Amino acid sequence: MDDLERQLQQALARQEAPPWFEEKVLRAVARQPERRSTSWFGSAYPIRWATAALATLLLSGGIAWQHERQERIAGEAAKAQLQLALRITSSQLHKIEKRIESIEQD
Amino acid sequence: METMTGQEIAIEPVASAGFAGLVRQHQSMVFSLALNLLHDRAAAEEVAQDVFMELYRKLADLESDDHVRFWLRRVTTHRSIDYARRRKTHGGVALDDVPEPSVSGEPADVLLNRKLRALIATLPEHPRTVMVLRYQEEMMPEEISKVLGMPVRTVKSHLQRSLALLREKLGRSSGEVR
Repeated sequence: MDDLERQLQQALARQEAPPWFEEKVLRAVARQPERRSTSWFGSAYPIRWATAALATLLLSGGIAWQHERQERIAGEAAKAQLQLALRITSSQLHKIEKRIESIEQD
Repeated sequence: METMTGQEIAIEPVASAGFAGLVRQHQSMVFSLALNLLHDRAAAEEVAQDVFMELYRKLADLESDDHVRFWLRRVTTHRSIDYARRRKTHGGVALDDVPEPSVSGEPADVLLNRKLRALIATLPEHPRTVMVLRYQEEMMPEEISKVLGMPVRTVKSHLQRSLALLREKLGRSSGEVR
């Protein structure tokens, strides 16, 4: 580097921006419409995806619970019918048994 | 929120701390690039402010401090060139018309610096930009070529020719600086 180049470095050396510059830029930025971030983590995408996943989980859980409940009700109804049928059969058998006993005594 | 000169400025929280820091860190570089390229303080302030506004919008795309510095140098030089072209088209004072400042009654170094700045201002836009990046930012030709999107040999050629021209003009006026 020769004399001229050294002198050019001095002549073109950085100068301080005016003291009010930073404040002026920040004020101008504050007047801008809100900046929309395009990055994944800086955006609302994760919240939206989490909400959608939770809703799907709740919905599928609700459907499964409803299905199980219907099956249980149907099972209890079938059980009650079977018990009734057994009670009727038992009662009929008891009557028949009584009649046989009375015939044998006669 | 940031409090400045007693008044509160509402800025998006994520941006406020980081962005204010970036302005503080790089304002001297951006302002000086624009000033050395435009030779006009008011124009340099305007360009520098536009550059930082653009930085604010692009902040999410910039990955590191080096990336920010590279981006600022590139955008500031391009914006300054555009500004100078517009000024010329719209009948403003072109750089080629900038008069050499008065040089009486000041120390020799100060006078020489002013003369050099005035001579740089008379160079065409590409050699001027190359010279400013080389001697203000002390960048190597390879770095300048990346910022300006210009082949390295063109950068070197601009540097050599500009230095030769400055030597010639200075030699003609003072006969001594090599």
